[in-house]
Amino acid sequence: MSDEKIIQITNLTRIYVDGVEIRALDGVELDIEKGEFLAIVGPSGSGKSTLLNLIGILDTPTSGTILLKGIDVTKMSDKERSRIRNQELGFIFQYHHLLPDFNALENVMMPLLINGMKTSKAREKAREMLEEVGLGDRLYHRSNQLSGGQNQRVAVARALVNNPSIVIGDEPTGNLDSKSSDNIYELLRKLNREHNQTFILVTHDERMAAKTDRIIRLVDGKVVEDSRKV
Amino acid sequence: MKNIIDVTVENQAHITVSPREDEDFIFLYHGLENYIRKQEGVIAVSSYYQGEAALQYRHNAEGVALFGVNPEDEDRVVQKEKDMIAGDFGSLDLPGRYMVIGSKLARNLDVDIGDTVTAQFPGSAPADFKISGIIQTGTQADETAAYANLKRVQDFYNAGDIITGMGIRVSDIYAANTLANKIDREADYDAVSWMEQNSEILDLIETQSQFVLIFYILIFAISGFGIANILIMIVMEKVGEIGMLMAMGVPRKSILFIFLLEACILGMAGVMIGSALGYVSALFLASYSIPIPPEMYFGMDHLPILIVPENFIIAGIFAMAIITMAGIYPARRASKMNPVEAIHSV
Ligand SMILES: Nc1ncnc2c1ncn2[C@@H]1O[C@H](COP(=O)(O)OP(=O)(O)OP(=O)(O)O)[C@@H](O)[C@H]1O
Ligand SMILES: [Mg+2]
Repeated sequence: MSDEKIIQITNLTRIYVDGVEIRALDGVELDIEKGEFLAIVGPSGSGKSTLLNLIGILDTPTSGTILLKGIDVTKMSDKERSRIRNQELGFIFQYHHLLPDFNALENVMMPLLINGMKTSKAREKAREMLEEVGLGDRLYHRSNQLSGGQNQRVAVARALVNNPSIVIGDEPTGNLDSKSSDNIYELLRKLNREHNQTFILVTHDERMAAKTDRIIRLVDGKVVEDSRKV
Repeated sequence: MKNIIDVTVENQAHITVSPREDEDFIFLYHGLENYIRKQEGVIAVSSYYQGEAALQYRHNAEGVALFGVNPEDEDRVVQKEKDMIAGDFGSLDLPGRYMVIGSKLARNLDVDIGDTVTAQFPGSAPADFKISGIIQTGTQADETAAYANLKRVQDFYNAGDIITGMGIRVSDIYAANTLANKIDREADYDAVSWMEQNSEILDLIETQSQFVLIFYILIFAISGFGIANILIMIVMEKVGEIGMLMAMGVPRKSILFIFLLEACILGMAGVMIGSALGYVSALFLASYSIPIPPEMYFGMDHLPILIVPENFIIAGIFAMAIITMAGIYPARRASKMNPVEAIHSV
């Protein structure tokens, strides 16, 4: 594994002002290297999702900086953020969020089309990606015609089709039974090895966390544990 | 409303001159006629003698307003020739007694061109007139008016060379008032413009068009809110999808554009369907003759329906503008969404 730092987080604080002040993240310091496969764990309300949304530039911190590949993303315009989200980041959420009016293939094509790729080429790439996640025979199914695990595989294909350098998953298997959960985990692990992409997964499942290379534990918005497998 | 005025003023004398207040006739009218012809903006003048008479044909008799006119003058003032459905108005100039009558009157008397009717009036010798033309103006005159040569009518009533009134056509209908006042002052005859004659109706039209304007504003406001509402509902339904699109890297500007485009597409479909429905219902209404009180509407007895392409274009442009405006708020709302909240709302 290379020791190139792909994410550098310094003194990251996120305060929600919602009647009362909630310090969801409190001075987080964190470096993540290219190709890492890590889990963020911690009790409910400890700030895991908040941290992930900030890394995904879906949210803006109250203070502190996040460097993605050495570039500060906290002060970018919406256009630049959108471009980075499209090209450098892949999102997998607890719910698959597939667009219901489109089939699996079209859903996976979406990030490519947003990036301006020609439809015919995008269709080819999306098909390859769906084959890679084991859904080569479900290209034209819509999300309501697929199982929970299959939908989540489509979501994985969609997150990875643009070949992002960072894939973030907020409880990506939280809605699945343990067997489908294991399958998705194996799939992510395989993709991580093959493409050397960085995976950051939030999970409640200690069993799954134990299978990652690094565990970051948050409590009350602070990093209380950062352990690497040796 | 302007259309109604234009159409009806075409069939009406712009200024009517009547005898002095305490007299029944205009006696030395040739001088007056010359004086009026010399006024600026006067296109034509027509002197007439109007009286009552009964027309009899076989066993049918009808009371009529009998007009004695010089056909050429009369046609220049009130455009008679174009309303002739049989024969021609100029025939009244032929030697002999000829008469042009309204279409309904002809039907009531059961006469046709070439038939001879007898005019009767107490104190006058009955006189035969040969029907040489039938006129249809779409007004009440069709049922009551009969026209003959001025000289013959004067003779019929045992009158000398006198008249009961004079019609004037001017080039600028909206200057008619000024000219009427001038004639009134200088010649000391009672001259009334079409505006004064119809002042109550014109006031009515004025208030009516204000109501129509308010009506339009209300319609546009209501439909604008309705459309905005529908678009807001569409946006709310798609909150999760909007969040996911943002996560996939669609900029806020594009989200705004997507929903404005949706508003425009809905608008275009609406304008097309609306225009088609409007056109069909206008044709449908026009195929029925909807009666209106003629004394209120310049003598028109049915609802006039004009299908004008400009109206469709104007309405279409207005509708598109309103729809696009109504689309701005929902589209902005979509583009301003917080992606984190949007995604977790599902
Ligand atoms: N939009 C918000 N407005 C106000 N407070 C918020 C908002 N989002 C999160 N919080 C608060 O910030 C804290 C951290 O929330 P976060 O969602 O990051 O927790 P989490 O670790 O992901 O929890 P879970 O395991 O339950 O998903 C919580 O106390 C939460 O109530
Ligand atoms: Mg969470």
